[in-house]
Amino acid sequence: MKYSFITPRTKPFLSLFSKMWVIFILSMSGFMILFDGYLAYEIRSFKTGMVDLTNERETLEKRIDEDDEIIGLILRQKALAEEIFSNNTLLKESMKNLFDLVPDQITLKKVEMERNSLILYGVTPTQDTFNFLLAAPLKSIFHTSNTNFYLTKEGWYNFVSVNKIIAEESIGE
Amino acid sequence: MSSFDRSLEKIDLMKLLLFLMVFLVITFGFIFILIIPNVKEYRVLQAEYKRVLVHKTRVENLFLEREAELSKLKAENVHAIQAFKHTFAPTEFIRYAGKFFTNVSLVEVSKSDYKKEFVEYELNVTSTLKTPTNFYNFLEGLNRYNNIIQADFPIHLESNAQTISSTFKIKVYDLNATTKDPARK
Repeated sequence: MKYSFITPRTKPFLSLFSKMWVIFILSMSGFMILFDGYLAYEIRSFKTGMVDLTNERETLEKRIDEDDEIIGLILRQKALAEEIFSNNTLLKESMKNLFDLVPDQITLKKVEMERNSLILYGVTPTQDTFNFLLAAPLKSIFHTSNTNFYLTKEGWYNFVSVNKIIAEESIGE
Repeated sequence: MSSFDRSLEKIDLMKLLLFLMVFLVITFGFIFILIIPNVKEYRVLQAEYKRVLVHKTRVENLFLEREAELSKLKAENVHAIQAFKHTFAPTEFIRYAGKFFTNVSLVEVSKSDYKKEFVEYELNVTSTLKTPTNFYNFLEGLNRYNNIIQADFPIHLESNAQTISSTFKIKVYDLNATTKDPARK
C-alpha cells in the first residue's frame, strides 16, 4: 500500500555541491603533487648532472696535467735538439774557418781540436810564412799561441802550433 | 535525478565555509610543506649547477687550448720528437757515416743520465775521409739524422798519403725508458 503520491528516490551520500568541492580539492591536490614531483625530478637531475659535470671536469683536469707534462717534455726536447743542432753547425763553421785560414803554402799534417785548444802539426816553407799567414789570425782567436819549428832535410820547417783559449772561469780567478 | 538536487540553488553557507576552510588548509599545507622547501632547494641547486657548469666549461676551454698547443708543438717538432724516440742503432749510424767516410768504426765509451729524462751515450768514431768537405757534409747531415747526435771534441784529423784519418767523439741523446712511454701517447 502506498502512502505517498511520488515515487521514492535514492538520496545521494554527497550532494552535487559537495561533490564539486571534493573534486575541486582533489584536483588541486593532484596538481600540487604533480608539480612537486616535477620539482623533485628536476632536483634529482641537477644533482646527477652536477656529479657528471664534476667527474668530467676532473677527467679534463687530469688530461690537462698529462698534456702539460708532454708539452714540458717536448719543450725540453726542442731546447736540447736546438742546442745540439747549433753546436753541430758551430763546429762545422769553425772547422771550415780553420781550413780556410790555412794558406796554400802551408800544409797541415795533423789537427787536434779540443774544446779549448787547437794543436796544429804541419810543414811551412819559411817561419815567416807561418808567422804572417797563420800565426797572426790564430793569435787573434786564441788567448795563447805557441809555435815550435823544426828544420827538415829539404830546408822547410815542421811546426807544432799549440793554441789555447783560457776558460772564462780561470780568467776570473 | 540531479534535477531533484537543489544543493546548488540553495547553498548552505556553513557547508561553503567548511569546504573553503578545508580547501585553504590543504592548499596552504601543500604549499608550505612541499612546494616552498622544494622550490628553495631547486633554486639553490640550479645556481650550484650553473656554477659547476661554468667551472667545467672553463676547464674544458683550458683543455682545448692545451690540446691545440700540444698538437701545434708536436707538428712543429716532429723531427726532434721522432729522433728522441728512435733507438740508436750503431749499424744504422755506420751506414749513414759511410756516405761521407770509409772504414767507419764505432766504440761506446760511456752511458749516463742527462737532465732528468735523457740518456747520453758517448761513442768514439774513427774513420777515413778524402777531403774535409766530407766532414762538413757529415756534420750538416747530422742535424737531419734519425737520432739526436752531437759531434764533439776531441777531434783529431791526420793526413796520410791520399786520405785523412779522423777520430772524433759523438754524443747520442735518447729518452730514458720511463719517459719514453708517456711520450708515446
